[in-house]
Amino acid sequence: MTTEETAPALQAPQPAFVTQSFARGRRSRTGDRIAETLIASAAVLSGSFVLLVIAFVFWYAAPLFADQGWPFVSTGGWDGQIEEAWEMVRVTFGALPLLAGTLLSTTGALIVSTVIGLGCAIFIAELSPKSLRRPFETLIQLLAGIPSVVFGLVGLVAVVPFLTRFVPADSFEAVADVPLDGASLLAAVIVLSFMILPFFVTVAVDSLRAVPRSYMAGGMALGMRRWRAIVRLQVPAAIPGLLAGIVLASARAVGEAIALSMVAGSIAYVPTLEYGLKYFPFMPIRTLASAIVETGGEAISIPAIQAALFGLAALLLLFSLALSVSARVMVAWLSKRMRLDTGRSL
Amino acid sequence: MSSGTAREPKLELHQRVRVGDLLGPAFAWVTAAIVAAACLFIVGFLVVKGYQAVTWAFLSTDPQPSLVEESAGGVRIPIAGTFLLIVLSTLVTLPLSLGTAIYLAEYMDEESRLSKTIRLGLEVLAGVPSVVFGMFGLALFSLPIFTFMSSSGAEGASAAFGRSFLVSSVVMAIHILPFVIKVMEEAIRAVPDSYRLGSTALGVTKWRTIVRVVLPAASPGLATAVILGMGLAAGDTAIVWLTLGGTMTMAVDQWWEVQNYVEVLRGSGSTLTTFIYFSSPAGEGNAPNLAYGGAFVLMAIVGGLNTLAVLVGRRSSSDRNSEI
Repeated sequence: MTTEETAPALQAPQPAFVTQSFARGRRSRTGDRIAETLIASAAVLSGSFVLLVIAFVFWYAAPLFADQGWPFVSTGGWDGQIEEAWEMVRVTFGALPLLAGTLLSTTGALIVSTVIGLGCAIFIAELSPKSLRRPFETLIQLLAGIPSVVFGLVGLVAVVPFLTRFVPADSFEAVADVPLDGASLLAAVIVLSFMILPFFVTVAVDSLRAVPRSYMAGGMALGMRRWRAIVRLQVPAAIPGLLAGIVLASARAVGEAIALSMVAGSIAYVPTLEYGLKYFPFMPIRTLASAIVETGGEAISIPAIQAALFGLAALLLLFSLALSVSARVMVAWLSKRMRLDTGRSL
Repeated sequence: MSSGTAREPKLELHQRVRVGDLLGPAFAWVTAAIVAAACLFIVGFLVVKGYQAVTWAFLSTDPQPSLVEESAGGVRIPIAGTFLLIVLSTLVTLPLSLGTAIYLAEYMDEESRLSKTIRLGLEVLAGVPSVVFGMFGLALFSLPIFTFMSSSGAEGASAAFGRSFLVSSVVMAIHILPFVIKVMEEAIRAVPDSYRLGSTALGVTKWRTIVRVVLPAASPGLATAVILGMGLAAGDTAIVWLTLGGTMTMAVDQWWEVQNYVEVLRGSGSTLTTFIYFSSPAGEGNAPNLAYGGAFVLMAIVGGLNTLAVLVGRRSSSDRNSEI
């Protein structure tokens, strides 16, 4: 772009020249200054909201962590404790099942959506006939725009009943401590996968397209078949972008509350393999985010429940902070490496 | 990834067709088909199920507290609530996001520490899950000093109720803020420098150049940003569920009458998203047909907003091409 290259050169003398002439100008610039101060404060305010949220959440969660400490995240005990807390009984909460539910559903969804999403991104960026490209991009945008409660609704009335048919018939006798149902870890993974997929695909398509065409041309000139050139040259070169897409998708998955509260079974339970692999996918889970939205509202007037919910919110916030930071670090590190490797930025 | 991989294929130049070379593209086609099928299934499902549920009576009656689906009313309040929330949160977010976007794009040195800090803050804010915003808002606005934004809660309670349209829109505005700022900043940066130079050469101050020249040129992009923010606000459930309350009705029965507006704004209510959540088989209402109808209307609103954003965005690029 020629404008971008020439712009700094043209703009450079502008500030000194402009301010000098207008500092002596007839017209007062008080109005300008007020407006500029206002937008500067708007910028500082917008940038500091996140501090307010973080400080507030940790401030409210602090008593809980001080009171219960490490066992809050390392032990179980949620559903029953919430009910007891309503009766003003003193209880100790354990968020381990919720952590397990969040981690299992997020990991599962990430695996599924990365595999399907990468195939889909390669299709859109490289393989699809020109006539299909636009419609597919529109479909991905459409998928990204579907509200999570709609995903939850369709999951609940279509996916869950479908999965119920595959629940092993002897599950009631075989698995003693929890009822198995279609509303389960598996349903959560399926619904979540399609929710986060468009975010991964959008980023993946962009980063695949950003790989210089010379890579593919060079590979194919050496006799590589198209698919091999894509897999061996284009995808590796796009890895920083793909990882950024995965991080973006996982941030969404970790924070998803509504859809998972509808399809995941909503029992704070740590799925276990001890009964056998065939029961595992149908075990219910409850995630950090869905526990907040299911319990929140009226229950917040009970101080013990409010503290426990803020404990969950603090854990969620830690997750999303870690993801934001790792995304920055990873992208910076990888893109630096790519520049060293190829002599140009991608 | 290393440059070694690029040289490696030299050794395998034979023209033998490998199984992977055929299976690979097939895999890509299959995944694309899966995604398309899932997308079409969701939309088709809602169109078929929702179309039957959406009648004039459904659109024009308020939700009724009833466990029987036939007498549970319609979605007039949720539709009004959705629009009310969209408008209010846009009003809150607009000045903040526009100011921030102008400052970041026009005044800040991108390498300066303040600019980097603000950007980092916005980036992290964009990653905060909406359910955390919900908890944050509910607890913050339950503090007694915010009683003016929601009713005072129970008789004699020391805390505010913490749930109202005002509370919900402020929290929603913070939630959508980073997304709106990002699109707005891009729109402002996309205005060619020749515009600014031309205006400055005529002796116009920087601020007036921005207001009179840059912002009008960027207006389609700014509009796109606002519309995308509206779509986000319309589609969010967790914030609304926590900070607007789980009740389906407004604070007053005659909510459309002018003298009740203040009470409505300070009272709890519902939007289409919470209506769907409440009416779904997972919620207390358990009236799936109402949920389908609500989802159909919601998808129409969100889809309409997103289409509008695309159309406005397209106009901006064609405009600029014709001018230069």
